[in-house]
This record gives sequence, C-alpha cells and structure tokens, in this order.
Amino acid sequence: MKNRDTSLKISPLATRRDFLKNSRDFLSHTGLLGSFPKGSTLGARKLGTSPRKVQQTTVLSPGKNSQVVHSVCLGCNARCGNRSLVKNGKLLHYSGNPFHPYNHHGMPTPYGTPVQETLGLASPVCGKALDGPNYVYNPYRLIKPLKRSGPRGSGKFRPIDWKEMITEIAEGGNIFAELGEEQEVDGLGHLQNDENIDQEAPELGPKRNGFIFMSGRMQSGRKEFIDRFVKGAMGSCNRIGHTDICGLGFRMGNLALSEKKEVELKADPWGAEYILVFGANIYEALQPGINTYGAAVAKRHAQGKVKFTVIDPRAQNSSTHATDWLAIKPGQDGALAQGIIRRMLERHSYDKAYLRAPNPKAAQRLGHGCYTNATHLVITEPGHAQDRKFLRMADMGGAAGKEEGAAYMVLNGDGSPLPFDTVPKALLDEECLLTLASGQRVKVKTSFRLMKEGVMAHSLAEYSQFCGISKAQIIKTADQFASHGKKAAVCQYHGAGNYPNGTYAAYAVAMLSCLVGSVELKGGYLSSGGAAASASQGIYDLKGFSGKLSPKGVKISRENADYQKSSEFRRKKMAGGTGYPAKRPWFSFTKGGLSVESLSGIDAKYPYSCKVLFTYFYNPLYSTPGGYRFKETLQGHDKVPLHVSIDTCINESNLYADYIIPDVTYAEGHYGWLTPHAPALKFTGIRSPCIQPLTGSTQDDRPFCLETFLIDLAEHMGLPGFGNEAILDTGGMAYPLHRAEDFYLRGFANIAHGAKVPPASGSEVEYVEANYPVARFKGILSPSQWRQTCYILARGGVFHTYPEVFSGDQFESGLRRIVLYNEELATTINSLSGDFFQGSLSYQPPRDAAGQVVAEQDSAYPFALITHKMNLHSQSRTTSHRYTMEIFPENYVVMHFLDAQDLEFKDLDMVRISSRSNTTGISGKVKTTSLIRRGCVSISAHYGHSQLGASALPVTGADTVFLGGKGIGNEEGLFGDPKRGTGINPNLVSRLDEHLGYTPLLDLTGGIPDFSTTRVTITRES
Amino acid sequence: MLGAGVIGGNIPSLAHGEDGSPQPTMIIDLNRCTGCQSCVVACKSYNKTATGQFNTRIIQGEQSSPLARATFVPVQCNQCSAPPCIPVCPNDATFKLGNGIVVTDWDLCTASGECIRACPYDARASDPNYQDRVDKCDFCLDRIEQGMAPACVEACSAGARLFGDRARPDGEFADYLRHSPLAVRNPEQETGPTLLYVPLS
Repeated sequence: MKNRDTSLKISPLATRRDFLKNSRDFLSHTGLLGSFPKGSTLGARKLGTSPRKVQQTTVLSPGKNSQVVHSVCLGCNARCGNRSLVKNGKLLHYSGNPFHPYNHHGMPTPYGTPVQETLGLASPVCGKALDGPNYVYNPYRLIKPLKRSGPRGSGKFRPIDWKEMITEIAEGGNIFAELGEEQEVDGLGHLQNDENIDQEAPELGPKRNGFIFMSGRMQSGRKEFIDRFVKGAMGSCNRIGHTDICGLGFRMGNLALSEKKEVELKADPWGAEYILVFGANIYEALQPGINTYGAAVAKRHAQGKVKFTVIDPRAQNSSTHATDWLAIKPGQDGALAQGIIRRMLERHSYDKAYLRAPNPKAAQRLGHGCYTNATHLVITEPGHAQDRKFLRMADMGGAAGKEEGAAYMVLNGDGSPLPFDTVPKALLDEECLLTLASGQRVKVKTSFRLMKEGVMAHSLAEYSQFCGISKAQIIKTADQFASHGKKAAVCQYHGAGNYPNGTYAAYAVAMLSCLVGSVELKGGYLSSGGAAASASQGIYDLKGFSGKLSPKGVKISRENADYQKSSEFRRKKMAGGTGYPAKRPWFSFTKGGLSVESLSGIDAKYPYSCKVLFTYFYNPLYSTPGGYRFKETLQGHDKVPLHVSIDTCINESNLYADYIIPDVTYAEGHYGWLTPHAPALKFTGIRSPCIQPLTGSTQDDRPFCLETFLIDLAEHMGLPGFGNEAILDTGGMAYPLHRAEDFYLRGFANIAHGAKVPPASGSEVEYVEANYPVARFKGILSPSQWRQTCYILARGGVFHTYPEVFSGDQFESGLRRIVLYNEELATTINSLSGDFFQGSLSYQPPRDAAGQVVAEQDSAYPFALITHKMNLHSQSRTTSHRYTMEIFPENYVVMHFLDAQDLEFKDLDMVRISSRSNTTGISGKVKTTSLIRRGCVSISAHYGHSQLGASALPVTGADTVFLGGKGIGNEEGLFGDPKRGTGINPNLVSRLDEHLGYTPLLDLTGGIPDFSTTRVTITRES
Repeated sequence: MLGAGVIGGNIPSLAHGEDGSPQPTMIIDLNRCTGCQSCVVACKSYNKTATGQFNTRIIQGEQSSPLARATFVPVQCNQCSAPPCIPVCPNDATFKLGNGIVVTDWDLCTASGECIRACPYDARASDPNYQDRVDKCDFCLDRIEQGMAPACVEACSAGARLFGDRARPDGEFADYLRHSPLAVRNPEQETGPTLLYVPLS
C-alpha cells in the first residue's frame, strides 16, 4: 500500500519515538498547553510505544520552518475561526482560533491577549475543518486554465495560455473555429454597450445586462471584488447570488416580520430556555455551524439550562437531546406553527402587554428595544384606494407635516383613533368603522386582528390533519413554548419554508417568537450583530472609483423588480387583457439571490437573452433541486453563447463551460472579511492565506485565481476601477489595483482603522511578518497602517464577546420594529395570477404555478422525498475530504423500517426512486430507521457525484493540468476514481413545474426553490 | 447496538498510580455529545490510522421509547484495569503503563492478532501499513507528554469529552467525578474500564 503521508504531500514531523527522545527539549516550552499536567507518564518501561508517525498540530515558537496563521474557515459558510500549522510550506493541520467566539461558546480568549501567548491553547473546530488539508491538496484541483476542445459536456478540454484566454474572453469572435463551430461569439467587450437590451422594453436596462455572473459559495471580500467588476466596471445588474438554494424560505419569513431589515434571526443558543427547532439541523449543519450553535445547545442541555423540541420529518441527530420530536409532514411547517398560535390565542398565553405597546417608547418601558405593529390599524375596504394599507394620520386629516401625516393610527382604550406614538397602550384585537377626512367611512382592523383571522381560518383539527401532528402534541408544544415566555424562541432554517408558499410558513414560524415577546432579547429571537467595522471605507474607498457605472434595469431573475411597471404588462393590458400572467414570475418582495429563477430566465431567454455567463464556485446542476433540467440550458449555444467558469475543480456544471479558470482555496487566498449570522454576535473575521498558491501563475508571478482573472480582463478591456490609479484614499491619493492584495489589504486596513484597534506590538508585527504569506505585500500599506493591520491579522479578525452585545437584556444591534401585518407584502401582486399576496399569516400548502396542490397531483407517488445535510459535509464539494469519505463512504435512501417491511426491502437493498418529473429515476441503497416519518424518505446531499474526479475525462495534458499530476491522469486524460462518485443525488428526481416551462418548482412570492414537495415511487432495482 | 443501555455502574477503583503518578482519565458525557464526528476526524488526522481503521469512533444507534431518538456513543480503548488483551499476547508486547494507559510495543508485536480477538470492545486493529502490527488508542500519549489534551478532546466543541488527572482532579473534570452519574461500557465483561461515561438522561 502506498504511504498515506506521501499521497497527501504532507511530511509528518516526527514519529512518536522521535518525539519521546526529544521530549525534554519540548517540555521546557510547554507551560501554556492545556490543563493536563505535563511530565513523565511513561511509567516503568522506558520503551517507544509506537513507531507510528503522528501529525504535529502545535508550534509554540513558529517563524522559521513552521508558521501559524489565524484565519477563517471555509469548510462551510458558518465562518468559524481557524489556526493553521504550516511546515516547510505545507499545510499540516487546522485547529480553531482561540480569539474567535464561534470556536468558544461566545467567550473566547480576551482579545487583547498577545498572540504568542495563545499558540498552545486548545481550540476546537468541526470535522469539516479538520479535514481541510485534504480539500486543499485535493489531487483533482485544477492548476491551469482550460479551454473546451470538444462539444459542450464532452469533457474535452485543453490547457490554454493565460493571455490568450484573456483576449478570447474579452474580444470573442470565432473562437471555437478549431472545433468546426463557425459562429461569432460575443466577448465581454461587446457588452460594453449602453443601448437598450430590448428596444421594446427600455426598463430592462442596457445590453450590459447580457453579462450574467452567478455565484455559489461567495462571501464578503470576494463579493465586493466581484461587484466591483460586474456592476461597477461592466455595468451589469446581473451579479446573482444563491440565497434561494441556501435557504430563502426561513429568510422570507424573517424578511416579512422585519419589513426587509433582517433575515438571520434565530433563537439565542447561549440564553434561551426553550427552543422550537423548525427544520434547522442544529447538530449537523446550520449557520452558525455545529461547532457553535449545536455545541452550545448540547452543552447547555447537559447542564439543564435549555430544552428543545425538534420539528422535522426526520429525527435529525439533535433528537438525541430533544424533549420531543414532532415528525411533521414535509412542507407543512406553516400549518403546525399556525396550530400552535391558535392554541396560544385561545389560551391567551401570548405576551399581551408587549403587543399592546404601540410605539418604541411604550415597548422600552416594558424592557423591549423592539416594538410591534400589532395595534396599528389597517384599512380593509376592498376597492378603496387605501385598501390593505395602514391608516395614517393624514387619512384622518389634521396632520401638519409629512412625517406627522405618515404616523400610524391606533385605537385608544376608549376606542378613539390616535397617532401610535401618542398612547402608551392601545387596543389589540379590534376592528371598527371610521370616517376618514375625505368623508369616506371605511373598515379598519388591527394588525393583530388580521393575523388572528389568518390563524383562525382553520381549526386545530384541520391544522393537525395538514401537518400530521396530533392535536394533543400541538397543544403540549404550544403550552410548553408559551410557558417559557421571553426565554423561548424558534430556530428555523432550511426545512422551514424551503418550498412553494414557504414565505407564509416561515412568517408563521417567526411569529411565534414575536407572540412570546422574545424578539431581540437575551435568550430570545436574535438577529446578527453584524460587522465590527467597515471594510470598504475609512482610509481607502473600496466602493467608489472614477468612471464607476451604476447598473440599470431588471435582473434576469426579475428579483426586486415590479412586473406592473414592465412593458410586457403594459402591452398585455393594452391588448385588452388584465396584463396577467407574466411569461414567468417577477419577485418584487424578496430577499433575492434567486439562482434557480436566473437559470430558468436564461433558459427561457426571459426577460432577455444571456450573452456571457460567468459561474463562480458554483455547481447548480448538482446542487439545485431539479438542476438536471438546466443541462440543456448550459449545453445550448443559443441560450448561453459564452460560458466561463471560475472554480477549483471540474464539476457537474462547468463540464459544459467554454473556459475554466482555476481558483485558489481558502488556504492560499480567497481573502475575506466575514461577519456573523445570527444570533447576537458581532465580529469581522479576517481570512488571509497560510500557504502560497498551488495554482499556476502569470508571467509576473500572480496566481491563477478569480482576482487575477478579473483584473487582467478589466485591464485588457480598459475598464474603470482596475489597473493604475484605481483606488483612492481619503486624501485623494490614487493607488493601483493590479493584484488581489491591492484590494484586500486595504480592506483589512479599513477594518483595523474603523475598529480602532491599537497598533500591534513590535513582537506581534514580527510574528505576522514571519508567519503570514500576505506580509510579503506589506508595502501596499503605509508602515503605520501595516502595524495596525497586523493587530487584526495576528488574531484572525476583530471580535466581540457574547456579553458585550447586550445592554441589560436588550440586544444592542437588534431590530427596532417587527410586524404582524406587512403592508408592502399585502400590496404586492402575484405576477401570474394578478391577485394580491396576503399581508399577514395565511396557511398555504405547496402549490405549483397554476395554483394546484402538488401533493394532490402526485398522489400516485406514495413517498415524500426530503433531503438532509450530514455533519461532515458541505453541500457539494466535500468528496475530497478523505477522512469524511472514510467515515461515511456513501449515502442511502433512508426510510422507515415499517415502510421497508411493507415493500419487503431490507438494509442495503438497491432500489430505484422515480418521480413524476424523472420517471426513469435514480438508484441507491436502502437504510431503514425508526427516525423518520412514515411515508417519507430522506437522501442526504453530498454524494452521487459524476465529476469532481469521479469520472474519467478526456482532458488533454491532464497530468499537468491537475494538482495530482501523473497520479491521476496522463497526456490523454483524467483516469477518474469511482470512490468519489459513490451514493445518490436526490436533486436528480426533484419535481419540475409543468405549468412553468418544466423548470424547478418555485414559491411565487419570494422565488424560493422547492426542497420538500417532490413525491416518489420506490421499487426494487432489477 | 450499543446504546446508553449497556453503559452501567461498577466504576473500578484504580489499581495503578500508587506512586502518585498522574492517572490520565477521560469522561464522555453523552448528554453533550452531538455525534458530530469531529473527534473521529481529529483522531484520524492526528494518528493517521490505517484506512477504515479508527482508534476512536462513534456508535450511532436509535432508541424507540420513551421517545424515538438518535443515540451517539463515542468509543475507543477503555484502558481497562484488567485488560483481556494483555495476557493473550505471546510476546508480552502489550502492557499497561504505570499511569494506566495500555500500550503496544511495536518492537515486540508480531501481529499475531490475539489481542484483537481478546478485546471485547473491538478497540484494536492491525495496521497493514506497518506489517499488521496492532494499533489502539493510547490517549495520544505524545500529546499528554507535552501537556496537551488528546486530539479528540481538543476537537470536541461541546466539551463532551473531559480529560484530566484522576489522581489530582480539578475544574470541570473534578466536578464530573464528584457529581455525575458515571458509568462504564459493558461492565459485565469485568475488565474494569477506566474510560468513564455519563449516560444519556
């Protein structure tokens, strides 16, 4: 067998025997390490106990042959800190960052501690992070740029010279003539054109919008860099994120609750007494990750400080500590939440005093920094111009100024209407008729009443039937939740709302925390504390630049755009219709990041055609439910005339690209400034490299990566914001942007300046300069800026602890207002049906675009298919994690043992799963369990890859194109390793919408893709 | 299936350490363990055990009553007081250190495999990379020597693995020794495990 250490390209430092020989020297340095007393534990027999090579993990005096860098992990998007150990240029080991609150239950090592004193401190990270070196040294990583040398999807690529590639992508032309493809392709340069992209629809913006940049895992730092190129320099509005497949559902609920101010609200894991876990996989995934959120909940659970109930069709790993597991029907979180609310309304077990406080002052008197609009009056008079809108003081007459006129109205104790900010307590559950200044008499209702009407529309028995949870269980859960009052909150995530109509499910779930009055209080429902300081301003202006363009028009996804203002609507109306339906939905009320609808838009060439597509760190064909549908999209030269991918590997999607630009990993670059997800914490983590780039480099020694590529393209095309004199400081001095560090180091300097950290001590500057690869570029900053920046580099960021973010029990960075009735949502029109959306809670089962209930249409398919994440995996890119694949070599079709008995399946039987949209189906192995709802099957993400090394590929010169060299390929191609393709990918059978171009099912309010509605048949594989 | 049910009482008083030397001891609190596998990866990454071989692993199980729930029991060598693996070795290659840790001397190990068969906990395995000599958890002896906790302990973010000196306990470790309902794995084997568990409540 091949020596494992060589295959990893890591040389271990010492055998245990070597170590024991030298241990005396080490012992003199170990005063800081851990709590266990050092000393002679060997006992009587002074023998070497093992010649095994072990991995060094700690160095107390780094600097010469070994380095220690504090940075931010990217094993997933959670943003824990990491501390790398590098020896002779090789990354050996990651541990946690002792300064980072995510690694230490919100209470890390005091921020001012000299970094050298912390190097021996233990600091945990999760298994994904620990497996990081195998991701970095993944032999299937690309190190050279590739150009397609066969038909799209054939896997035929050849290496291409960097400059030649830049020219071809910038200028286009007959660039695939060598393949007999005799057509002129628009390069990026052709899109520097301010003519309308559609002469008949000027609102869609200029031809620049034909450039579409889609991203998978994108974080702050690179996000701002990409925006600089796509928006500021190219002038395209189409920089599209992927919030939708990440988890738009629960975010839409919070978006509605917060009037678009915050989406990352979650239960406080360090302070809550009771958490209702709605579809949040707290021990296996989540943001913050298992190292933070799950660990905090588990520890406090063991101490008797927190209880929680899991609501999930699958008893996820957290069931091990849960008080209860409610095996809900997929897609029915809204029914359960509304059932719980109904019980709370009937028992009056909600926080009435809090809800009656009509303004910030009144709420503050009760100890709340955040008030609700529960008492605010809404005009409910169909046909009236102000219908669905709040009653304002101006409506009642007598208002002097504009601001005063906009004041919401409430009912005083005696039933008289008064401005909301003039009464300490208003009527809560009311409706009445009022006469407006215009003389019109209209019906008004409080927000609370409208919320209540939505809830009372169904009986508890109906809710029980919808969600598959017994009435008794709903009552028990409601009473338990309410009994903890302000120390109770929900933690909702991917499962709660990631399906059509999920906006309303997640709004109902979010409403639970509102009703017990726990929003933005310690132990309650908290938003994120945000960044410690701005990266884009302070010393250097990283936002603005000379010649910067402002993107105009409508995104290809139609997110945050109003269909009623489109030429299409006007034309349809003028032709005598209602104007509805739009060809595909528009989404004016959404958080955005609609990657799925962007792909559907590209496919339908709606509202315009894509000309040049860039995909970054993105694998939609694999990781999008129903992503298989877009194979023909990416294959079609008419739909995507030019496709450039920037990625670390060849994946299932960029297999169809025309060019692939190799990228660095988070160990080598991938700079960033990373802020927390909820709850509570406030910090900016700093990601800088720990080793030199493993990709190839340009003639002037810049690594092949995202930044070098965009800079060289911009300089070739003469775009503003790049090249010489691209960045200005506050004094008006101009600096170049010629390499990644020109941008990021200045961002770091802004953060250090804005956070007002002290200059690093002399020894800390020395530490950074001896350990951090980025120190090579310190000349980019002034000496004093560099010295201050060293302070945050040495610690891997700027961090605040959990107690620091509260004033009393109030979260200082919290929301100031939340709503039971959302006026903007209530006045938004469904672009397909022409109907208004509901402004408050409303139970809605998952429906397709034609309004049909999917479960009813698919009743011939007996099983509901759900998916889940595993604790050692990220969504789609962790098959290179060697230890993970050793522990979990494959995934399974997880089903209830009684369902399996009925079908006469036993563990490891091969079965075929097919759906209405993929009748051929896919095959996988059965695993039976009692920990899933009957009638549901769950398949984890992460497996069933056909690329990322799983297949042989005809890549010319594979032995020089991939990091693994001759070990994994030769001149003709890549050999492929089937072990990287084990298991099954559930996204290949996801339901498509037959009423919407057979593209993936979608929520029509926010554009949420569906993860819970697909139904399948399971048969024995013959 | 090894669930909480087979973890029971009979905590042995330690027979070793009379000379006052440290007694490195691990306590695993199943009420904190999330089954996250970080300890398993940390152990693999640190000890570089053979492919498919684990010096610590997590046994995942299920309980159906009173509440259906997942169970996680991290397992490894129990550093037994009366280790059945020792007497069966034809070469005296495996033995107990004065501090209670059971080790194998690879200069003497001839890969007979007797100790693997004798261990009732499946905690030993042969390593094909080293002529099938037998590997097992030794609490990361070299790390302890440096005053560091074993790799699995450092990686446990929930603090489910507590490690300390049973001869001179302090801090949270001491609290656990004093106040927690401690148990060992498979007490009916009468091997006197010194690895302690707090069972799921």
